[in-house]
Amino acid sequence: MSAAATNAPRIKRFKRQAHENRVGYLFVTPYLIGFLVFQGIPFLLAFIFGFMNVRYPNRIGEATFVGFDQFVRFFNDKLSLEALGRTGIYTLIYVPLIMVVGFILAAAINQKIYCRNVVRTMLFMPYVSNMMAIAMVFIVMLGPTGPIGSALGVPLLFDTATALPAVTVIGVWKGLGLNMVTYLGALQNVPRDLLEAADIDGAGRWKKIVHVTIPMVSPTTFFLLISSIITSLQNYTTIQTLTQGGPGRSTTVMSIQIVRTAFTSYQTSYASAMAIIMFAIVMIFTAIQWRGQKTWVNY
Amino acid sequence: MSIAAKKKIGIIILTVVLIIVGIAFIYPFLFMLSSSFKPSVEVTRPPFSLIPETFTFDNYVNLGKVQYFGTWYLNTIVMCILTLVLKTFITTLTAFAFAKINFKGRDAIFLVLMSALMIPADIMLIPRYFVFSAIGILDTMFSIVLPYGFDIYFVFLLRQNFVTIPDAIVEAAEIDGCSYFKIYYSIVVPLAKPAIVTMLLFTFVWAWNDYMSAYIFISSDARQMISVGLERLSLGMVTDNGLNMAGATVTVLPIIVVFLFSQKYFIEGITTSGVKG
Repeated sequence: MSAAATNAPRIKRFKRQAHENRVGYLFVTPYLIGFLVFQGIPFLLAFIFGFMNVRYPNRIGEATFVGFDQFVRFFNDKLSLEALGRTGIYTLIYVPLIMVVGFILAAAINQKIYCRNVVRTMLFMPYVSNMMAIAMVFIVMLGPTGPIGSALGVPLLFDTATALPAVTVIGVWKGLGLNMVTYLGALQNVPRDLLEAADIDGAGRWKKIVHVTIPMVSPTTFFLLISSIITSLQNYTTIQTLTQGGPGRSTTVMSIQIVRTAFTSYQTSYASAMAIIMFAIVMIFTAIQWRGQKTWVNY
Repeated sequence: MSIAAKKKIGIIILTVVLIIVGIAFIYPFLFMLSSSFKPSVEVTRPPFSLIPETFTFDNYVNLGKVQYFGTWYLNTIVMCILTLVLKTFITTLTAFAFAKINFKGRDAIFLVLMSALMIPADIMLIPRYFVFSAIGILDTMFSIVLPYGFDIYFVFLLRQNFVTIPDAIVEAAEIDGCSYFKIYYSIVVPLAKPAIVTMLLFTFVWAWNDYMSAYIFISSDARQMISVGLERLSLGMVTDNGLNMAGATVTVLPIIVVFLFSQKYFIEGITTSGVKG
């Protein structure tokens, strides 16, 4: 009698746990299956393919393991190394530009200006718009007979010397809204009393920005810096829609080179090896971000 | 002049400068819209006035006659609806389970999902082509819908949101005899509406604007999406700039309209939860 009484709550708890398990698995199973098929398995395959010589889906049975051959090939392939170099140039232009302009615009909007929401909306619009539609507009505007192209005298997107910087600047124009709004959120969280204290100490506008605002938003700066670097590596849509990697090979960056290698010349494994190299680069920056969140941010 | 007046003039100057910058920023949209109402020859003829000399609807009429254009547009709408329905259901249900049901192994599974959060989607492009080919969804809109539907990022964001809903509410409902499913759809989902709306908006923008998946996974003309359709349009035999600009306008318009009416959710989504492109 007394033993049954003390066991009752335990049995009840046990039954309850069994019920929670059942319902829990029921709820997450559809997602986990989808996750496995669309994220998990593709991710594993990406690595397996990189060490094989796969070409076509219907002839995957003929593929064999070739070790590091595809990676060795990459480092001996002049065209691919050039593409990697162009990705580097794209990143080196994209990141400083989007960081600095994003901060300046956010800081300006954060002053008590009129029509703040209108300005913010205008600057954010490119971010939500369709890249292919935008590309068609830029191709006409920057073309030799377009309003900007004819004014400059140089068709920026169609000249091998200017095409890469031009697509980069258009990429910045498109992505800037996100950085700006993120900065704006951070700026609005800078404690007012800190700025007022600086006022009392006689600090001017610039001194306040350099000594109070910039240190206070450093966590955001750090987050945006890393995520902008990663975004700059994923530039396929921007470039493919604007120039398809041309003229010549002047805008053929890694993302374009990978898709072309995989889906035009059907060298699936070679393209996978290149994708793994890009993945490794992204992972390095992600790792820096995880470490840096704790140590690099100072105020 | 007083300091206050000086300050006010400074703000006015700054406002004017920013509005000029803003107009320069949206100039491509203005150019697109005005060109879509011009005859093609006028699009690339000085003085490039934003107000058409000859106002015409011909480009839009011609657009309707372009083979497949209506199909591409409709395909994109259907694809977006399917994506939104699937994603809303799957991600909220999953996030609810991870936040409010204490099943065995929950935290371990969640940790695995979190580590997958860091993986950029680009690396999965090539293997996905093989997986889609194996399960027979290549050249169908499901090759776009399903990967968007089983997204990791919003499971994570929604779970973080659901966790903030007090357990006491959930427990009270349990004592009243509510099933977990009822707690999910009648308590947790309504409370998390803003977060869910944010997810829907971002997903709509990404799905509507998607170019890469459609370009790689869809090959039939009749099954294509609008982004790649636009490209086919612009690569036609004859470059018809007026027609192209009309095509670009009808593609950009739905997103811009949705954005203008729901900005608050976009901006808050970015500043409070750190949604990233």
